[in-house]
Amino acid sequence: MRSPRLSVRARLALWHAGVLTLIVCVFSGAILLFVRASLFEGLDRQVGRALTTIDWVYHHEPDEIGDLASESGIALFRLTVEGKLQYQTEGWERAGLARALWNPDAMPPSSWAAPNGPWYRVQAISDPSYQIVAAIEETPVRDTLRTLAAMLAMGAPFAVGLAIAGGYFLAGRVLSPVGMMADKAREITAESLGERLPVENPRDEFGRLATVFNDTLARLHDSFDRLRRFTADASHELRTPLTAMRSVGEVALQAPLDPGKYREVIGSMLEEVDRLTRLVDSLLLLTRAESGSARPVREVVELAALADNVAEQLRVLAEEKQQSLNVQAAVHVDAVCDPDILRLGLMNLLHNAIKYTPNGGAIHVRTMTTSIGLPSIEVQDTGPGIPAAHQARIFERFYRADPGRGSDSGGVGLGLAIARWAVVANGGRIELESEESKGSLFRIVLPGT
Amino acid sequence: MRILVIEDEKKVSKALKEGLEAERYEVRVAADGEAGFLQASRDSFDLVLLDLMLPGRDGIDVLTALRGRKVTTPVFVLTARDAVEDRVRGLDGGADDYLVKPFTFPELLARIRALLRRGRLDPTRKLQHEDLRMDLGARKVTRREQSLELTGKEFEILECLLRHRGRIVSRELLAREVWHVGARATPLDNVIDVTMVRLRRKIDDPFEKKLLHTVRGVGFFLGARPE
Repeated sequence: MRSPRLSVRARLALWHAGVLTLIVCVFSGAILLFVRASLFEGLDRQVGRALTTIDWVYHHEPDEIGDLASESGIALFRLTVEGKLQYQTEGWERAGLARALWNPDAMPPSSWAAPNGPWYRVQAISDPSYQIVAAIEETPVRDTLRTLAAMLAMGAPFAVGLAIAGGYFLAGRVLSPVGMMADKAREITAESLGERLPVENPRDEFGRLATVFNDTLARLHDSFDRLRRFTADASHELRTPLTAMRSVGEVALQAPLDPGKYREVIGSMLEEVDRLTRLVDSLLLLTRAESGSARPVREVVELAALADNVAEQLRVLAEEKQQSLNVQAAVHVDAVCDPDILRLGLMNLLHNAIKYTPNGGAIHVRTMTTSIGLPSIEVQDTGPGIPAAHQARIFERFYRADPGRGSDSGGVGLGLAIARWAVVANGGRIELESEESKGSLFRIVLPGT
Repeated sequence: MRILVIEDEKKVSKALKEGLEAERYEVRVAADGEAGFLQASRDSFDLVLLDLMLPGRDGIDVLTALRGRKVTTPVFVLTARDAVEDRVRGLDGGADDYLVKPFTFPELLARIRALLRRGRLDPTRKLQHEDLRMDLGARKVTRREQSLELTGKEFEILECLLRHRGRIVSRELLAREVWHVGARATPLDNVIDVTMVRLRRKIDDPFEKKLLHTVRGVGFFLGARPE
């Protein structure tokens, strides 16, 4: 039954037929036994009645005993008195029933096969002075039983055949949703991931299967969408510097220029190369991170020192914009993480805060332990805030809450994606609390020591 | 100083050859691993510039074979794959330094100079360019006898520029030597630019003759503009 070549439908039908065959066999056997028992009981009663009649006639009208065969149809009996044969019917002698009497005393009903063929049911009553033995031919009963057995034996294969056919049909009916689901699923391609399998009854087994499959499709659809968006965004980001390089170069070649101008042109093209390089480096970092080939080290890191260090590195940027950059570092907040990756993440977060906070604004960096004792770093700014609609996607690659503000501020749209990766790679999570025009608060929560 | 460039990409090898020759190095080019290995083991060079992704015989293989033949010429590895494994394999195989493509030329020059200089101690405690003087021991900077107040990073940048005076210093080099960051994070470029602006404000703005120059798209240099 485990044969991989059989379809589920055929296997179901075979199981079905097997079970049904077993039931038919057991049932037929039971019928046969029951009918046999009741037929023989009837025979025994008949022989018993004959014995009673003979007994009565022997006691009351002994002379009539010879007429019993012709008048009452009791054709097979024998009467012995004091061990001597008193009377026996003609048929008795002919059938050779004398030989059946191996037990001369009263005997229970039993079957005896005559040497010439037929079976007889034999019964006796005994008295110290006399004995009556009567018999009746079993042939009709045995014929009936044989016919019944033959009928059952002929019917069983028929029933089994019917069971196979019925089982196959029923299995087909039951499994038809699977076929439909398979057909539908086959039609779903990368281009039509929005389609779903039909769910007739979400509570039955196939409904649950279809629901699970649909959930998987939804997730697949989602990640395909993100990939498509990412590809579009990435090619846009890659095309922008390429376009700039091409047009700057082409324009420069239109007419002879003096060396200073050429220097300008080449410099401008090199700036675009720089931008491309940064973009490719960042993408490579994220791609490697996603494929899991970047393995972060695990060591105890003092968050206050790290936050101080990052803030000092970026302080010049805040100073240029007359922003106040405050670090409130609680001492002895330790986290287990990769310091280089975390530094990269925090650097991107803080850079993001400086970039979007207007001149003269304030940025706060705090290290602390959360209410449940986890080490965390907060970066709070007084920037424009992030509208709720954008908050869920702000960490996606190339995602910009404000499409108008883009490459002119120098970034390539990967800073927050890198920040989130840096935190997640360290087993932490990054949270965002933001309200429009009230600034944003990014919180890194890391695993404790 | 003779340099062997083993690089299959024609444009890159041509640019390397011309750029290095402009710096008065004698340059030979091999276009694949086999030819490179033969030249490097037959002739004597002061430095080998080795690309890791080569047709025929790959760079790591060439490097291992050279070291197996007891060729001790310093080998500078160039790799397009920014993979840590590559770097580790390269350095284990006996490379002396490496750069990830795309690299900037000033960065490459600076590293080559460092590699060729290696072993020779640089006892300089005082640096000078025209009227700009730097005392590394006392951490003092003066221009035209006027003392200048520099922050730590500004001081280190100036030191780096003075050590490479007359040559272009790329942002990569500054990131590595001053901020000690290998991979460039985007924010750091902005930090370098801002710090450079502030340094310029201090050492150039009050004076007529400008010493610190920006080469657009490449980096910075201190001294007379090289024509």
